[in-house]
Parts: sequence; C-alpha cells; structure tokens
Amino acid sequence: MHIPDGYLSPAWCVALYIVAIVYGIVAWKKAKKIINSEAITALSVLAAGIFVAMMFNWPIPGGTSLHFVGGALSGIIFGPWLAFFVYVMVLTTQAIVFHDGGVTTLGANIFNMGIVDVVVGYAIYKLVTRATGNTRRARIIGAFLGGWLGLAAAGTMAGVEIGLSPSFPYGIRITVPAMAIWHTLLGVIEGVITAFVIDYLYERKSPLIEIAMKVAPLAQST
Amino acid sequence: MSLFERYRNTIKILAILIIISPLFGIVLAEKVNYHEPLDVAAEKLHLHELDVYHTPFDDYQVPGLPPTIGYIVAGFIGIGVILGVGALLAKRMSK
Repeated sequence: MHIPDGYLSPAWCVALYIVAIVYGIVAWKKAKKIINSEAITALSVLAAGIFVAMMFNWPIPGGTSLHFVGGALSGIIFGPWLAFFVYVMVLTTQAIVFHDGGVTTLGANIFNMGIVDVVVGYAIYKLVTRATGNTRRARIIGAFLGGWLGLAAAGTMAGVEIGLSPSFPYGIRITVPAMAIWHTLLGVIEGVITAFVIDYLYERKSPLIEIAMKVAPLAQST
Repeated sequence: MSLFERYRNTIKILAILIIISPLFGIVLAEKVNYHEPLDVAAEKLHLHELDVYHTPFDDYQVPGLPPTIGYIVAGFIGIGVILGVGALLAKRMSK
C-alpha cells in the first residue's frame, strides 16, 4: 500500500500533497480548540500501535501478503479529523526513518491511508451503528465492514493514482484490478482485526476510548 | 503522573509484538516470497523505485545487525520516534 518514490507522476504527487495539506488544515482548525496533552498522548499511542501492526506481514496462500493498515480503526476511535494526525505521524516516520513509502509520494500515501481509508471506514461504521443502534453487535458489524471496505477503497484509489500517472497511460487496466481485487479480498482480514480490536477496546474500557469519547465528538461538531 | 503512565500495559504489549515481529516481517515473508498487491502491479508495469534519498534504517534494517535483530531494533526506534514526538507535542500543549 505504501507507494514508493518514482511510481507516481509529479502531477499526482503535487496534487495529492495539496489535498492532504488542505485536509490537514481543516482537521487542525477543528482540532485546535479541543485538543489537549491527554488527547495528543492518546493519538501518539494509537500511532505507535498502528506502526507496530504494520510490521506484521501475514503471508496469504497464493504468494501475496498483507499487513494491517488500520485506517478504519483510527477513524472509528477518533473520528475522521483527529485520525488524520495518527497517519501523519506513522507515515512520515516510516518514509523518513525507514524508507517505507516515498517522500515525493508521502502526500499520496497520507491521502490513501489517512484520508480515504479513515473516512470510508468511519462513514460505514457510523451508518451501521446509526441504523442498528449503538449495541456491541452493531459496533462489531460496523467495524468489520468499515475495516474491510475502507481498505478496499484505499487500495483501489492507490491503483487509480498509479495507473493514471501519464508515464503509464494504459496502466489503469492493470493497476486497478490488481489493487482493487486483492485489497477487497485481503480487506476481509483487516475487517476481522478491526472488529476484534474495537470490541476489545470498548469492552475493556480502554483509556484510548475514554479520551476519544471526550474529544472526537467535539472535533466533529466544530 | 506521566502522560504515558496509563498506557504502560499497552506499551508493554507493543514491545512484545515488536520482539515477535521478525517472524512475520522477515521469516514468513521470505517463505511466501513477500509480494504486496502493489508490488504485483508495479512489476507488470515495469515500475522502479527512484533513489531519492537514503536513511541508515532502510527497510527496517540496522547496519551491522542480522536482519531479524535489525527488524526488532528498527521497531523500537519507530515507536520511540512516534511516542517521542507525541510526548514533545503534549508537553508543549500543557504549557
């Protein structure tokens, strides 16, 4: 999922940096009135958790592998605005310190994982819990669907970006099916993990949930 | 009380996960010839990574250490950077 340097045309790199920066400005405007040291600590602990989860590559029969991305998980816990900052921390550290994902493509990677995955996962979770009530079962189903479809959407978007880069004008016929089909299939596992972690955190009354419940609704309403 | 005090158990779990991570990040990944969907698409389009910059910890490795140990050390460096930045920002915010 992490797009390295050289895979995207400069126009896509610049455009997606701009989108990520604009989203970040809006997110910061919403966050700055309610953010406090407790919330920043909670966001950084979640970011550390996502970073570690991404180090686990799960081999899949057929010669591919998957690592957890966690966009829906972060969106469900902290909402689409605060979760953005979790990915800025994770993806910037991965790109600059470990060369995992490029620097020229950092905007694209933040867009795919920190915006598309987060927003799609969050929206699906909210749809399910609003339609069926905020019960434990609704949370589990919503988190599963959010995790699954959030990853599928983010993978498909990455395929579109690479395929539409002008150096590879017909690449979209290869990249979109490859990314969309695999991420839709592998997204089922992401959905299962997201549902398990959300259920665990809510049932254990984790400090992450406690703090998120204080700040996330305020960020959405400002 | 330190801001991270209430997350002590979470951080311990993360440390344990980092220690076992080479099993999935190195050993099993090599066994299945680690290929993300993105790598599959890139190979078909003959895309190559641009050599824009270097870091001493490329691909979660530490120079001079065997891959599995390097992967573990890189994991600790990663969460150290993230929690360190978080602690600095939180400290600044509390002033």
